[in-house]
Amino acid sequence: MSETPRLQPFVVEALTDLGAVVSPGESLVWVQAPESVQHDLEVPANFALTFDAERSREFEAELVAPGSYFLERLIAVVARRGQWDAARCAVSGTDWILSGLRESGLGPETGVRSHVNGIEDGLLWLFAFRVTLLSDEKRESFHLVAVSPSERCAWTVDPVRPDQELIPHPSSGNSADLEAGYRLAAESLRSITAGEVDRFRTRSLGLLEEEVRRIFGYFDRTIEGLRESDPDGSQELLRAVMAERDRRLSEAVERFDPKAAASLCSIRAIQVPTARLRLGFPDGSGTDARLDGWSGRLRGLICSNCGGTDGPWRWSPPEGLRCATCAPTPAGSARPRGRPPSDTPRRGMRAGEASARSPRGSRARSRGASAGRRRP
Amino acid sequence: MSLPAREPPPSADASLPLRFDDSDRDLLARAFGSPGDGPRACRLNGEAHRISLVDGFDRLLAWPVLRGVARYDHQERTALRVLRDLRGRAILADEVGLGKTIEAGLVLKEYAVRGLIHRVLVLTPAALTDQWREEMETKFALPFAILRSVRDWDRRPFLIASMDTAKREPHRHAAQARPWDLIVVDEAHRLKNRFSLNWRFVAGLSKKYMLLLTATPVQNDMDELFNLVTLLKPGQLHTYDRFLERYVASPDRRVPMRVSELRGRLRDVMVRNRRGIAFTLPPRRVHSLAVRLSPAERRLYDDVTQFVRDAYWSASGRLPWTARLTLIVLQREIGSSTFAVAETLRRLAQSPLFRSDERERLEDLRQDAAAITSNVKAARLREFLESVDEKVLIFTQYLRTLQYLQGVLEADGHRVAAYHGGLSPAAKDAAVRTFRGDADIFLSTEAGGEGRNLQFARTVVNYDLPWNPLRIEQRIGRVHRLGQDREVHVVNVWAEDTVEANLMELLDRKIHMFELVVGELDLILGNLDQRRSFEDLMMDIWVLRQAEDRRSALRRLGDSLVRARAQYEDAKDVNEAVLGGAEEAASA
Repeated sequence: MSETPRLQPFVVEALTDLGAVVSPGESLVWVQAPESVQHDLEVPANFALTFDAERSREFEAELVAPGSYFLERLIAVVARRGQWDAARCAVSGTDWILSGLRESGLGPETGVRSHVNGIEDGLLWLFAFRVTLLSDEKRESFHLVAVSPSERCAWTVDPVRPDQELIPHPSSGNSADLEAGYRLAAESLRSITAGEVDRFRTRSLGLLEEEVRRIFGYFDRTIEGLRESDPDGSQELLRAVMAERDRRLSEAVERFDPKAAASLCSIRAIQVPTARLRLGFPDGSGTDARLDGWSGRLRGLICSNCGGTDGPWRWSPPEGLRCATCAPTPAGSARPRGRPPSDTPRRGMRAGEASARSPRGSRARSRGASAGRRRP
Repeated sequence: MSLPAREPPPSADASLPLRFDDSDRDLLARAFGSPGDGPRACRLNGEAHRISLVDGFDRLLAWPVLRGVARYDHQERTALRVLRDLRGRAILADEVGLGKTIEAGLVLKEYAVRGLIHRVLVLTPAALTDQWREEMETKFALPFAILRSVRDWDRRPFLIASMDTAKREPHRHAAQARPWDLIVVDEAHRLKNRFSLNWRFVAGLSKKYMLLLTATPVQNDMDELFNLVTLLKPGQLHTYDRFLERYVASPDRRVPMRVSELRGRLRDVMVRNRRGIAFTLPPRRVHSLAVRLSPAERRLYDDVTQFVRDAYWSASGRLPWTARLTLIVLQREIGSSTFAVAETLRRLAQSPLFRSDERERLEDLRQDAAAITSNVKAARLREFLESVDEKVLIFTQYLRTLQYLQGVLEADGHRVAAYHGGLSPAAKDAAVRTFRGDADIFLSTEAGGEGRNLQFARTVVNYDLPWNPLRIEQRIGRVHRLGQDREVHVVNVWAEDTVEANLMELLDRKIHMFELVVGELDLILGNLDQRRSFEDLMMDIWVLRQAEDRRSALRRLGDSLVRARAQYEDAKDVNEAVLGGAEEAASA
C-alpha cells in the first residue's frame, strides 16, 4: 500500500468525482456528501476527514490511512467505477513521429531514414490488470497492457503515464475486437510476469519443502522413538502422533501453497493517430513500421539477433537492427545488459518453452502472438 | 467467449499458472454497453488500485492508522522480523514492559491491512481479556469481541477468549473446527506442559500464523522451552529425546548445554528484546497517605460492612450472582467515598434483590451517607497537593467521587482537567490538552489504555484502590512507561481498618508491587495457584465474620503472593541464563 502523502490528493479528487463538495481546512478536510456517497461510504451528509490518527477524535473525523475503514470503503467504491472509457488522443501535426523515432533509438541522427506513407486513425485497447501473488505473504503489482487489434500485438505501458492528451470520445471498436484484445493482453501479461511468478513459486515451494521435511523428521523420529522404547506400546498414541503430523502437514501446505491471480481493473479504448512508416537503413535495406501518437511504441521491427520486438533499437553494421539488449556496446565488447541469448532449450523443456523464462523468451512470445501463431 | 484457461493446481514440477479472475468476463461483457463514468473516474480507478497494492513486508504500513502508539525502534524491528524472517510464527519473549502486546498488535494490523488475515483468535488469561480488547480497539482500530457464547465462534471473526474458557467444551470443539489465520497466545508460558489441556488445545487449532507472548519461556525447566517451540515449529529443537541429550545438562533440567547452538536455533522462532540502558525506566517512589476516618465515616463504613457480611451469609442461602456483585460494589464504593456509596444505597433500598428489613437498613445507611458532607481522605489529599509543585494525576474508580473531588479541588484554586467515561472522544482529547496546558490536576476515572501519553507528569495519586491490582498497575503505567525520564511518585490514599488497608498490606508490604516494572505484576499474579480473581479473593476474606479468621486468611494469601514473587524472580534468572544472548542477535 502506498505512502500517505499520495493519499490526500487521491481522496479529495475521488470524493469530488463522486459528487461531494470538499473543502480542505487547516488540519481537517470538510466534506458535504450527496446521498449516494453517504450510502456508499456510510457517512453522514457533512463530515470531516483527517490524515492524522491523533486528530481523528476532533469532530469525529474519519481517519484516512492505510487500513482505515474509510479508505478501504472509498477504494472499493472508486474501483467499481471508471471500469471503461473511450478517448481520443489529441496530438496534432507530425512532431510526435520524430520524437517517437528518437525515443525508439532510430532518429535521423542515427542514419536511419524514415518516410511517412500515411497517417490513419488507429484503435488501441488499454487493459489495466492487478496481479496478486499469494502464499503466506502477498505481493501485488499493477500493469497496463496496450493492444493494437489491427496489428494483433500487445505491449506494456508505464502505469503512471499521464493522460492529459486524451479527450473524451464516443466508444469505438466492437466486442469481438475487445475479446481478441483481452486475449492478447492476457497472454502478454503472462509473459511480463512470468519471471516474477516463477521466482515467487520457487521461493514458496522452497519454504514448503523445508517445513515438510522438518515436520516429517520430527514426527517420524518421535514415532520411531516411541516404538523402540515400548514395542508393545499403545497404538492409540502412535495414531494420535501420526494424526498430528498429518494435520501439521496440511497446515503447511495451506500456508505456503503459492497462488498467482490476475484481475482486469479497467479497459480504455483510445483512438490514436498512427503513422505508417518506411524505415531505410544505411546499408540500403528497409522495413515497414507503425508508430502511434499516444504510446510512442514503434511496431513491426524484429531484432536480428534474438527475434524480439521490444525497443529501443540500434542499427549498426554489420549486425543490422538489434534491440537494446542484443546491441553491441559502442566499444563492441560486452553486452549492455542481460545474459547472452541462447538457443539451447533448458533440460526437459521444449524449445518454445525454454525461451519463456528469459527476456528474450518473453519477446519471442510476443512476436509469436502478434504473428497469430499462439493461442491464449 | 473463450478466456485464458484455468490450469490445475500447481505442483512442484509444473509452473505456477497466472489465473484470471472470473469477474473479467463480466467486465468484458458490460464494457462500453453504456457511456461509462468518464475519463477521470477511469484514471481514479487505476489510482485506487495502485494505492491499495501490497508488496511483501518491506516496511510497516500501519503506523499512520495507529492511535497513541509511540514509535519505538525495537518494536518496529520486531514486527518486521516476525513478518519477514519468521513468517508470522514467533515467540515474542521481550522482557516485561517493552511492549509485547504492541508488537503483537503491529503484526496483527500489518496482516490485516494487507488482507492476509480474516479470522483471528487471541487467547489470554481471563483477567486480561478486557485489556486486550481495549488496546486493540483504541490503538489499532481492530474490532475484537470477547467470547461470550458458543455462537461467537461463528459470528465474530476477531475474537478474544480466555484460555480457560476456550479449552473446555463446547468451546474447544467449536474453536478447533474452524481454520484461523492468526492465533495469539498471551502469557504463553502457560503452555509449558505439552500434556496439559492448554497445550493440546492450542496444538489442535488450525492456524496459518501464530504468536506466543511470554517474558519467561522457561519457568521451571528446559522442557518448557522445548514444548513452547515445538508448538510453534515441531522439529526446530529436534525430538524431545535428542533435545534433552543435546541441550540439557543432566540431572538438573534447568541448566542448558551448548547454549550458543541452542540460542542459534531459538533465533529462528523467537524475538527477545532486553531493556538495556535505553529502556530502563526510572524508579518508582511510593508514598502512603493513611488516614483515620472521622467518627461519622467510621460508623458508616462499619455499618455498610456489617450489612455486606450479613447479606453475604444470608440465611436465605446462596445469594444470586447479581446480589453478590452488588455487595462487592457497595464495599468498594464505601472504600472510595461516602458520595460514591450514597447513590448505590438509595438504589438498593428500592431493590427487590433484598428483603424488606434489609431495604430498611439500606435506607438508614443512605441517610447516614447523605449526612456526611466532607471526607477525611479528601482533606489529606488537599494537604498533600499543597506540598506539590507539579502536575498530578488523581485516579478514582467512581464518578461521584470524581465530582466531589473536582468541587473541593477547584474551590482550593486548582485547575482541574476531569476525564471520565461519560465524555465524548473529543472532550477526552480536550481534557488531555488542558492537562498538558495550564491545568495542574488530571482527575480521572479511567485507568485503561486509551493510548494517552501522559509521561510529562510523574505523580500518580490513587485516591481509592481498585481491588484488581492490574488496574492499579494500569494507572501507574500512564506515566511510568517508555519515555518517562524522571522518578515516578505513587501516592496511595487509604483509610485504616478497611479492605484497602488489607490490600496495601498485601501488595505494598508483601510483594512491593508499587516498585515493580509494568508487566511484572501480571506474571506474579499468574503464579498464584488460584482459579479465582484477586478481587474475589479479597472479598472472600473480607466477609469472614471473625477477625482472627480474616487475619489468618490474609496471612495465607500474603504467603502465596510472596512465593509467587519468588517464583517469578527465579524464572527471570533462568531465562537470562538460557536466552540471555539470543536476543542480542535478534534485536540487533
